[in-house]
Amino acid sequence: MLAHVLTRLPILLGTFAVIVTAAFFLMRLAPGGPFDDERRLPPEIEANLRAAYHLDEPLPAQYLRYVGMVLRGDLGPSFKQKDFDVNELIAAGLPVSLTIGGIALAFALILGVTLGTAAALHRDAAGDFTIMGFTALGLALPSFVIGPLLGLGFGVMLGWLPAGGWGSARHCLLPALALGLPFLAAIARLARGSVIEALAAPHVRTARSKGLSRHRILLRHVLPGALTPVVSFLGPAAAAMLAGSVVIEQVFALPGLGRYFVQGALNRDYTLVMGAVIVYATMILAFNLIVDLAYARLDPRLRVRS
Amino acid sequence: MSARIATLVLFAIAFVTAQARVLNLGSDGEPETLDPHRYNLRLEETLLNDLFVGLTTFDVQGRVSPGCAESWRTSEDGLTWTFELRDGLRWSDGTPLTAHDFVYSLRRLLDPATAASLAYFLYPIANAEAVNTGKLPTTALGVEAIDDTTLVIRLAAPFPFLPERLMYPTGFPVPRHVIERVGDAFIKPQHWVSNGAFVLTEWQPQAHVRMAPNPNFFAARDVSVDGVVYYAGGDANTAYNRYRAGELDTIGGFPGNELAWVRAHLGKDLRMSPLLSIMYLVFNVTQPPFDDARVREALALVIDRALITDRVMGTGEVPSPSFVPAMVEDYTPVPYPHISLPRAARLERARALLADAGFGAGKPLDVTLRYISGADTKKVYVAIAAMWKEIGVQARLHQAELKVHFADLRQGNFEVAQAGWFGESHPEHYLGLLESGTGNVNYGRFVDAEFDRLMAHAKTLPDRSARLAALREAEARAATLFPVVPLYSVMIRSLVNPHITGWVENPRNVHPARFLGWQ
Repeated sequence: MLAHVLTRLPILLGTFAVIVTAAFFLMRLAPGGPFDDERRLPPEIEANLRAAYHLDEPLPAQYLRYVGMVLRGDLGPSFKQKDFDVNELIAAGLPVSLTIGGIALAFALILGVTLGTAAALHRDAAGDFTIMGFTALGLALPSFVIGPLLGLGFGVMLGWLPAGGWGSARHCLLPALALGLPFLAAIARLARGSVIEALAAPHVRTARSKGLSRHRILLRHVLPGALTPVVSFLGPAAAAMLAGSVVIEQVFALPGLGRYFVQGALNRDYTLVMGAVIVYATMILAFNLIVDLAYARLDPRLRVRS
Repeated sequence: MSARIATLVLFAIAFVTAQARVLNLGSDGEPETLDPHRYNLRLEETLLNDLFVGLTTFDVQGRVSPGCAESWRTSEDGLTWTFELRDGLRWSDGTPLTAHDFVYSLRRLLDPATAASLAYFLYPIANAEAVNTGKLPTTALGVEAIDDTTLVIRLAAPFPFLPERLMYPTGFPVPRHVIERVGDAFIKPQHWVSNGAFVLTEWQPQAHVRMAPNPNFFAARDVSVDGVVYYAGGDANTAYNRYRAGELDTIGGFPGNELAWVRAHLGKDLRMSPLLSIMYLVFNVTQPPFDDARVREALALVIDRALITDRVMGTGEVPSPSFVPAMVEDYTPVPYPHISLPRAARLERARALLADAGFGAGKPLDVTLRYISGADTKKVYVAIAAMWKEIGVQARLHQAELKVHFADLRQGNFEVAQAGWFGESHPEHYLGLLESGTGNVNYGRFVDAEFDRLMAHAKTLPDRSARLAALREAEARAATLFPVVPLYSVMIRSLVNPHITGWVENPRNVHPARFLGWQ
């Protein structure tokens, strides 16, 4: 396993360097700069600002300066949120995003596998149709529709949960639900399909003919194999969830990393966007690595090869 | 059962009264900074007005009133202003606040090292521009403390609007004794010292800014709330939902398409009044045919303002026939000529003007109209394009995100474009955008020697009413040349919990929390 990680490491680092470099130059290529606003700055004032943020240096020099800072673990000052540096902003935003994302993922995984398995066991019966109908809805509705609807229903009309904001456990529920729902639906459908397939597999038939209990067959012989596609889905799902959290954080006014990413991009806050890109890239690369490793553990054929 | 309900109601009342003293206010977004000298956004002004007070400040209706200075006088030539500070002013930590703090603060604002984006607000002060561009040391700035309570400000040229200019955060004092100890970290809650009605106690970025009353504020006795929390926006829908769920006590706006519902169901909460602002179209006069005043006038004449505000937008905006908004104090703006004629007469005149300029059926006028992307703005510019079509003008619409739009405008990369301006309550603030010396913030690069001359003359006048009269002449001159097309003034659409007292509609849309209460 360690060997596997070591062989992947150079590729991961290379990918990371490409992402950071591309993001740096793409951000600078975008028209407009951090100081273009409705407020109109006289040229001498803008010169003061540009000098303060080293924007008056040539681009390659700025890039080298930035890479040097990143290597020292310093993501630099934010161009727009002037009272915080990017490290501070990420330290404030990342826990929020991880909390919401973690709850959403756990919720999607547990409920998705349960519902999918239940649907497979009651294949083509009323329960199956209900669950599959529900998941079709979950897949079809994007989170920027589900989010406001949940906020309106549970926040405004029923008044059970906060319609937005951050501060207590109660604030996590609606955003996590809105974020997790499409993934729950996808996982349920995946799980249903592979459980149905596994139920028909020869080793399960053998287990059944040996007289093992339904529970034991399900937990020991069906699910471990059937979950492989679900696990391989988790890597892209976690990445997609990061993208989804950008929307959800906006909808529920959550102080998470996604919000910084969007605001930073709109404001041309170069350092803040770069900081967010670095965190996102690290997480996505890490997720993929973890999924690779988990896949190897679940599928003995891969284990032997590595 | 009824006893149980009664208990619940009692609990609810107790809960409401105990909680109500801290007001939960919706903010339009996240402040970029709470350093009054580095601020840049209107929403930061709102927060900073609660945390600091300058020499002058706002009264409950948003008008200029005494702040740290209880009185001021100006010399005959209008160049020397003497401010008398209140006795016993203190910072929130108890340190005395003196005229020397104002000298330090104004120097800090204009020090190029501060990189204050709005430092030019105080360029009327003698040597301010030279200091800000590094040509003179900060000590050359025209401010002087005669003693602890007397501050003298010398100006480069007469500027009767100085008291208004000093109410903004650029004129706020900052605590020298803290900055010298902790540097730029003085805006962190743990180091926070200010002189306004409130002090900063917590700032969670993108979530909220929490403030507690400052017992050393000079009017601390008049402050009736136990604190305020400003919640950063999210999108307009989220703030609106949070208001309806009772999580926020005020919000500064809501989605325009909800207006009918709000009128019907939240009539008591809805507070609408025009904002001191002007939305307009600007012509790039360096590009033919927009260097031709006849073309500009023709395009201006066929735009039906009332149709845009009442039918297309339907959200209360006020059509404006003049570039200087109607809400400016003590001033009657000059309407653009001919644009209030009956429709048929306007169309006829517009066609004649275009024909004069050499455009007609054989050679239609082609225009690219730029606007900032957004559902609410798009329909306005689609409507304008349709109106132009009536006189044979073919408009191509080009939308761009805000940053790109303004970058294009500043580089002169446009033909006709959406623009807007808001802020101060005197005509110079708006007319200054049309002066040739204004640089690239005169987006259209409009140049007219006569207008420049009238403006330059007005700026020599120290007397406020004489100056306003002279500015009106300059405005009348500009109006005949149609450098811009005034469209409308923005409507403020706030929701304010009916329990809140002291929230008075005003064109500047300022509602300092020191005036607010809960009933």
